[in-house]
Amino acid sequence: MKLRTAKFVVKEGFVNTYRNVLMSLASMGIVAASLVILGFFWIITVNIKYNTQFLKDQPEMQIFCNPEMDGHQLGMLEWTIGRDKRIKEYEKVDKKQAFEKAKEMLGDDKDVLEGLDESFMPVSFIIKLNNSADYGEVVEKYKNYPGVDSVRYSKKAIDYINRILRGLQIGSSLLIAILVVIAVFIIANTIKLTVFARRKEISIMKYIGATDWFIRLPFIVEGIIIGLIGAFVSFLALFIIYKLGGGWVQNDFIMVKLVGMKDVAFQLIMVSCLLGSLVGASGSIISIRKYLRV
Amino acid sequence: MVEFKTVVKKYSNGTVALNNVSFNIKKGDFTFLVGPSGSGKSTILKLILKEEEPTEGSVFVNGYDLSVLKRKEIPCFRRSLGVVFQDFRLLPNKTVYENVEFAMQITEALPKEIRRQVPMALALVGLSRKANAYPNQLSGGEQQRVAIARALVNNPSLIIADEPTGNLDPETSWEIMKLIQEVNMRGTTVIVATHEKSIVDKMQKHVIAIERGEIIRDQEKGQYENEVKDSKICC
Repeated sequence: MKLRTAKFVVKEGFVNTYRNVLMSLASMGIVAASLVILGFFWIITVNIKYNTQFLKDQPEMQIFCNPEMDGHQLGMLEWTIGRDKRIKEYEKVDKKQAFEKAKEMLGDDKDVLEGLDESFMPVSFIIKLNNSADYGEVVEKYKNYPGVDSVRYSKKAIDYINRILRGLQIGSSLLIAILVVIAVFIIANTIKLTVFARRKEISIMKYIGATDWFIRLPFIVEGIIIGLIGAFVSFLALFIIYKLGGGWVQNDFIMVKLVGMKDVAFQLIMVSCLLGSLVGASGSIISIRKYLRV
Repeated sequence: MVEFKTVVKKYSNGTVALNNVSFNIKKGDFTFLVGPSGSGKSTILKLILKEEEPTEGSVFVNGYDLSVLKRKEIPCFRRSLGVVFQDFRLLPNKTVYENVEFAMQITEALPKEIRRQVPMALALVGLSRKANAYPNQLSGGEQQRVAIARALVNNPSLIIADEPTGNLDPETSWEIMKLIQEVNMRGTTVIVATHEKSIVDKMQKHVIAIERGEIIRDQEKGQYENEVKDSKICC
């Protein structure tokens, strides 16, 4: 396509959007509303993922020894673990490593460790099981082992959270799909009104030899404009909701850490713009199809 | 230029619009397509424009075999024809100039070309002074002139007019027909579907008469009705 044709097509699209401004505004509203719901779910998913990340980073099983455990006991324990057939592999975390990790985890608050050395840290073993069904026996066995302080098993929690996350993802994908379909239909209807008002014009264009794309493109541009403006409005709305609602959540649930808006904004706006313009364009294509058969 | 070879057109509701129609229109011809309403005139024009497909037989227009023309190639084919309608079919929200210009924009013509051709076409139909008027500010005759200018602007080799004077008073009708004749003199083939007896009789052009889907007469320098009045004998 030539540049001036592209210019013509884009101009026509803008003029048409402006010409039936009320219907365009209505469609933009629908797109914005759908995208707000969609973005809301997306932000929730992102936040749950973010808040459960620490669980995923954790070893699935870790045996903590008493800090006062002597070398002999430690050797015995390591030997036993090494020979246990249910255990696939293990990794020993000595006092020094544990101390470094504690410092790292505390981050800015590492001053609290001042004056202390690694001696108070426990030695631990990170364990991977061959079969996670064995975890009960393994936990039972090592919990009562001399010198062992505690055995932590987090696989179950991870699985549980993964299940919730997956459910949420499937649920929100389904909801998003439904919303997209609804938005496409509403836009298709809006543009159908424009197309219907201009069906005579379209047939004239066909008679004097306009290609289908030449006729279709201004309508697609119209749909994309509607979609993009809707996307932008939804982004603004979500931004405000997140700012207000986020503060409230963080005040009431201290343990929940929210993903910063800055980190999600770019992705959010990209996704909404993409979806918005896609929805708008497909709405146009659907509504004009019938009138091109002349 | 336009050739129908044993064309049969049946519509899906069972109506036989054309029954075994064959004719040939030569380059540079001025042809009247005459016949009462429902005789099949419009079907012939629709077949020429490839708006409809023949049930049997083949149609050749401007060197295109329409039976093998793909849907994608239709726009290109239609640009080689100019069409004038009874109800003018101008775009109401564009000025006279823009209406004519639009037919060129569609063909992705150069702006330079557009600036040269559009005023020329408007001058030919005598509407240079109304270039900035909107269609609803013009009389019927003037609107039809705009439509003719639009049909002409891409220099088509064939112009098809479907009852171009159907909505006009006799005097204006004459002006329009004279204009179409002038276009024909410049070498463009013209097909006019009409039932204006007086015009057909006076102009003495190629006449193809259709009745009930069949060609009843095809003569050079013909008239609306045969002088022998053989159609009267049927009745």
